[in-house]
Amino acid sequence: MAPQLTLQAPLALPPSEVPGYLNNLWSEGLLGSAGAATFTLLVWEPSWLQQQLIRTGRIDGPISGLLNEELLEAAREAIPACGLPCSTAPTATELAWALGQQPGEHTADDLRGQFVDRAISAHRPRRLITLAPTLAADKPLETLVAAYCPLPEERSGSEDACGDVVVLRGGMGALHQGLAMLQPLIEPDLPCWVWWNGSMDESPELLEALAVPPRRLVVDSSSGDPRRCLDLLVERIATGQAVNDLNWLRLRSWRESLAMAFDPPSRQSALDRVVQLDIDMEGHHPVKGLLLAAWIADRLGWHLQSSYWIPGDEGQQGIGAEFERNDGESVQVRLMPVPVGITKTHPGALVGLRLICAPPGQAPLCVILCSESGGCMRLEAGGAASMELAEEVVPLPNESEEMEMARLLGGGHDSTNPLLAAAAPLAAKLLPQ
Amino acid sequence: MGKRAIEMAHTLTNPLRVGLRQERVISPQCLVIFGASGDLTHRKLIPALFELFRQRRLPSEFAVLGCARRPWSDEEFRSRMAEALSEEVSQHQSAWSQFSACLFYEPVDLQQQQDVERLGTRLEAIDRLKATRGNRTFYLSVSPAFYGSGCRTLANAGLLKDPNRSRVVIEKPFGRDYGSAEQLNRIVQACGQEQQIFRIDHYLGKETVQNILVLRFANTIFEPIWNRNYIANVQITAAETVGVEERAGYYESSGALRDMVQNHLTQMLALTTMEAPGRFDPEAIRNEKAKVLQASRLANEEEPWKCCVRGQYSEGGSPAMPLTGYRAEPGVNPNSTTETYVAMKLFIDNWRWQGVPFYLRTGKRLPKRLSEVVLTFREAPVHLFDAAGGSPTANQLILRIQPDEGAGFVFEVKAPGSGMRSRPVDMHFSYDESFGEPSDEGYVRLLADAMLGDPTLFTRSDEVEAAWRLYTPLLELIEDAPWQLPIHPYEAGTWGPGAADNLMAEEGLMWRRP
Repeated sequence: MAPQLTLQAPLALPPSEVPGYLNNLWSEGLLGSAGAATFTLLVWEPSWLQQQLIRTGRIDGPISGLLNEELLEAAREAIPACGLPCSTAPTATELAWALGQQPGEHTADDLRGQFVDRAISAHRPRRLITLAPTLAADKPLETLVAAYCPLPEERSGSEDACGDVVVLRGGMGALHQGLAMLQPLIEPDLPCWVWWNGSMDESPELLEALAVPPRRLVVDSSSGDPRRCLDLLVERIATGQAVNDLNWLRLRSWRESLAMAFDPPSRQSALDRVVQLDIDMEGHHPVKGLLLAAWIADRLGWHLQSSYWIPGDEGQQGIGAEFERNDGESVQVRLMPVPVGITKTHPGALVGLRLICAPPGQAPLCVILCSESGGCMRLEAGGAASMELAEEVVPLPNESEEMEMARLLGGGHDSTNPLLAAAAPLAAKLLPQ
Repeated sequence: MGKRAIEMAHTLTNPLRVGLRQERVISPQCLVIFGASGDLTHRKLIPALFELFRQRRLPSEFAVLGCARRPWSDEEFRSRMAEALSEEVSQHQSAWSQFSACLFYEPVDLQQQQDVERLGTRLEAIDRLKATRGNRTFYLSVSPAFYGSGCRTLANAGLLKDPNRSRVVIEKPFGRDYGSAEQLNRIVQACGQEQQIFRIDHYLGKETVQNILVLRFANTIFEPIWNRNYIANVQITAAETVGVEERAGYYESSGALRDMVQNHLTQMLALTTMEAPGRFDPEAIRNEKAKVLQASRLANEEEPWKCCVRGQYSEGGSPAMPLTGYRAEPGVNPNSTTETYVAMKLFIDNWRWQGVPFYLRTGKRLPKRLSEVVLTFREAPVHLFDAAGGSPTANQLILRIQPDEGAGFVFEVKAPGSGMRSRPVDMHFSYDESFGEPSDEGYVRLLADAMLGDPTLFTRSDEVEAAWRLYTPLLELIEDAPWQLPIHPYEAGTWGPGAADNLMAEEGLMWRRP
């Protein structure tokens, strides 16, 4: 689905004039039109990777804030050039940081906030506010405003459901100063979503200021230090805030495939007798694997006894853990980083999963799930000959961030998914200190 | 028994499945139920909505506005619904308290324009309170006589103006015959666009009915043989063990033909026989269904009595469990000529199905409750082997709609032992064995789809008209010369009148005895 550009070139206004201008626009300029009674979407859109790839001349502009194939290809090419391990995902924060150490002065138009994915615009946000930090830390605050209404042929009926776009652009310091003008721009009667479309490490005070409950927070726990990502998830969920994690949503096909393997009632009793769980993942970002392991443990009622680091190849560490089942028996869990040829877009993508069950009086059952993009020979090897083997391929998710975001917006979720709410604290405990 | 059933259900639940069924989440909106004081609301609609709520498939910006003439308050509506759903409420008290906060009530007489105007104001207030964004689904759970006028008052009040944000769900029966359905379609379509009209047929909400499409179009092995070259005949059965129960008032004026055949059986026929749509898209699917129904006809339109049998159950059962005859049921005319059983033969005049007979039957007080589609394949051209049963059994594909949902395939294998004798065996697929989880009640699926604006499982105007047109010769005959289509009595608890067997015996066929 191609993104849409706002039809009207946004108007640059001094920050102090924005609230007044918008009030005036709605009360006079768009007389007869009603603002869509939908929601405000507030997006933190640093796009550091795109900005650095453009600055170093690896791709052309404009800066759009969208991940596209060209960007990902350039990022993959930059990984070895920056001396990063092959297992580094193209969207890993390390890559943007490493590119930041390289010379380059290329510039491009900055259109962040003006590209609206069609999936998102279909939900007619009442106001789309984008915070777009620039590489130049001392750049003063610029504010851009555009209002839009559906074209006559797109109108759906009785009322025009118009919305507006506000972009705050500048260096980090300037954006901090601009925070004061945000509050009056957020309609108090409508739901507000805060999409933190950057690393969960960066600007904690800004995240704190933007994602005030009851605003609904959307983060991506594959971006940022794993400990920080999990702690932040846990902390936010504990406050009762609605938290959505794109990294968790990307686990959907794994959760679905594993559930499918145990749909036949004849296999369900084996779930009470799991003795071993192995998860292989790409690179060194274990949050996705931890969330999956935690979800399984929570659903099957296991109690965590201990977790520890396991030395792996090339200095990469795995994670081991011991759980206790409800019947007091032990379950061994291992998450191991494995080398892959081409990494997927986001850090810590899953490669394979193996679940071994030992029901009494029956042959052990071994369920192996493999990612569509590669084999999982490590999990298939060793001692499965005497077991009942169930092997499935997990399809790769093919939805963009914007599609996932649109799905959330369409659903109007005002609370954290209970499965995530249960899995995140356990995943945080699973990550050894 | 009840406790054991719950324990069994608990044991059989896949803990990894819990919470995963959230693929499509309904957009913020208000569901307006007209006839909210009626049976359907507390028996089917509110339970289905509560189920959707517990499955987290309803958005937080959601409201149900009950409307009827009774002067209830929001609180009274909530407490009445809680009372009607007491068992579910006691099991899920916390969920109910959240869900019931979404329930509102407005006294409205759908025939009174000023009431409906006032409803518009109330809906705007709910939009502000629950951020439902002006998205509305109007569910007409009222007498069919008010479908047309109800749509008119809604349209006159401007509540159907926005085709993307307002929808109307209409219960069956949609008309009484071709003429009345056509007229009702005209009225309804004058009030809004076809995309806003959702004509509900709860059979289409059944997982197994939808599975007909998946079985046919997600597998390559069936489609090449799904035609006149390989299929000898098709039987579609919907059998009920119950009698008329408390529906005598309605049933007396409808009968089995209008109550079951024109809608449920015809939908099964359409899904079984339609061409493959170009894509999985509501209009593409409904186009194909409409096309095949338009090509369908009674086997003998000139003399319809030769291809249709009507029956009515008389008393039966056993001394221990006697069953009352239809005419002795409360509310039934003692001289009633309403059919409780109907069997008929159809043809479809297109390239795929020319010459293949389709046998449809439905009835009340039959020995088993079941719905199924049975495709019987042509016999092997040469019989090389002796058959254990005398003659080889034709291959049959059986799509079991309910109960024991699944599919079966009957084919010949070598009987063990010396010699080369063949005998038939069954290959079974069972939803229960493969998935374990009970599927959603039809209304859960259909309500969700209506609120999602997905009309795939709803019947379009041309489908409804084509279905009525198909049975017009029979309806006219029943109206004008009922003696030509007499009512054959059959004993309650049997498979219908013998005349229905004769319908197939003419071709050397028999109804499948499930």
